Amino acid sequence: MSSHAAKSAWWMPDIPKSALMRRRIVWAYAFVAAPIVALLIFLLGPILFSGWVSLHRWDMLSPVDQMPWRGLKNYSYLLTTDPVFLKSLGNTFMFAIGGVGTNTILGLGIALLLNSRIRGRTIWRVLYFMPVVTAPMALAVMFSFIFDRNFGVVNNILTAIGLPRQPFLSGIDQSLMTLVFIAVYQYVGYYIVIFLAGLQGIPQDYYDAAQVDGAGKLQEFRFITLPLLRPVMLFVVVTNTIGALQVFDLVFATTGGAPANSSMTVVLYMYNTAFKFSRMGRASAMAFILFAIIMVITLIQVRLLQDRTYTD
Amino acid sequence: MTDDTASTIQLAGSAIKYVVLAVGAVIMVFPFIWMIIASLMTAGEIQLRPPVWFPAVPQFNNYTELPEKVPLLRLYFNSIFTSGIIVFGVLLSSSLAGFAFAKYRFPGRDFLFYLILATMMIPFFVTLIPVFFIVRQLGWYDTYQGLVVPGLTSAYGIFLMRQFMITLPDELIDAARIDGASELRIFMRIIVPLVKPALATLGTFTFIASWNNFLWPLLVLSNRELFTLPLGINTMKSLYSDNTNLLMAGTAVSVIPMLIVFIFLQRYFIQGIALTGLKG
Repeated sequence: MSSHAAKSAWWMPDIPKSALMRRRIVWAYAFVAAPIVALLIFLLGPILFSGWVSLHRWDMLSPVDQMPWRGLKNYSYLLTTDPVFLKSLGNTFMFAIGGVGTNTILGLGIALLLNSRIRGRTIWRVLYFMPVVTAPMALAVMFSFIFDRNFGVVNNILTAIGLPRQPFLSGIDQSLMTLVFIAVYQYVGYYIVIFLAGLQGIPQDYYDAAQVDGAGKLQEFRFITLPLLRPVMLFVVVTNTIGALQVFDLVFATTGGAPANSSMTVVLYMYNTAFKFSRMGRASAMAFILFAIIMVITLIQVRLLQDRTYTD
Repeated sequence: MTDDTASTIQLAGSAIKYVVLAVGAVIMVFPFIWMIIASLMTAGEIQLRPPVWFPAVPQFNNYTELPEKVPLLRLYFNSIFTSGIIVFGVLLSSSLAGFAFAKYRFPGRDFLFYLILATMMIPFFVTLIPVFFIVRQLGWYDTYQGLVVPGLTSAYGIFLMRQFMITLPDELIDAARIDGASELRIFMRIIVPLVKPALATLGTFTFIASWNNFLWPLLVLSNRELFTLPLGINTMKSLYSDNTNLLMAGTAVSVIPMLIVFIFLQRYFIQGIALTGLKG
């Protein structure tokens, strides 16, 4: 907080008295009024409403005050009996683990290469970053074609070198892994840039000192780079996990969850439940379950990856 | 002798580096190249067995005939128009609110700021159903305002601007007040110029997110006159399920201008990302 309010209680800074000060207060309220009202209408109100809806049955057409009460039945149905929801939850975890793991390793690896003495760093960075600014919808269309079972170029290449053709997005065992590949393709450039900025923030002195002590490259990486990169690692893992658990566009536009729900994810299933089958209560319960999972996972990750200098 | 071996090893090491980077770069660029190659084929060439890797004669008419079938100008206009308004709204609301939170004392300030921090963590899918309901109740279904208004404020934007503005010295503001400047004038003439890099970063992120946004326009629009580019691609996907060459041409026209803008402005994109990534 700013130095002004240092001594006052958090809920009530000491109120200044003069007319001039009071006019400034009016200005301050004028500055925050519109955004606060907008956030109340489009964020805070909705999340409370969504929680209320998740305890009811609602098709969005019947009046809000006449929703039949369901209590926690939406939640218990999803967590104990709905096979598609549990399947989509498992898929979403697999998608996130695969994507975050690969992005972190590849992102750090390529950032290390780019951070070493290398020519054309800007060009490399631009090439790796191109998919980040491309619409997920466009990438989905491009990759649906590239991985097509019949006319896809990847299968054409496989045939040309004498390997069997693969179903990729249309295969029960391959759809989810293919989606992980596309998601890594899409975002790895972003994490390269973040890791690279983190690496460039490590003072050269540490490495010089290590070299004087006769440390090898691997030791430098293990004892200097990795520990000092921990905050960046935390940022990458947390943001990437939060994003991956919410995947929608990519799945919607490639597989739509098929075949046999092998690539169904939670947000896509929620979307279908709400806007195809008009079960707003059940869909809202799904949203809250995923929200809770995201918060728990984030907390665990922050705990595990936080600076442990004083607790080790 | 040993020096020679050492330098050979070093040379081999750096050769491997370039090879690894190049293989990665080829994978990154290939989908775009293949999209363009396929967009110049005939529908028959795409389905040929054994496959062909290049069009016999490049079919530029796949592109020239595109505007007759797909309202590309309309899609571009809608994307630019709605993203532009959202960027303007987010920059204005975030910088004004961020300024108040950083540089004013008012009752309830800290409470409101904590409220904003809390809303930052709410994912879009939790509020999707109620926001859609609200927009429909307001009579904004299938309108520009339905598409745009829920995106005009950003809790993250307010937080980011406040963090930048709190580092500005109070003396600047006090001096301007002594000179008799109004609060609005102080904001416009002193604060805004000083936080331009942060505004550029926030603006870039907001623009990309809004330009590429698919789920919200998909929900709130049904009239094709209002469709944005991602919805246009989605429509082409079903329209051209048997003409992948045309689908690729349409997709190329939808993404390549954005890529060119990025290549020219890449320095700002990348600096901005590094900045917020390390701040976060």
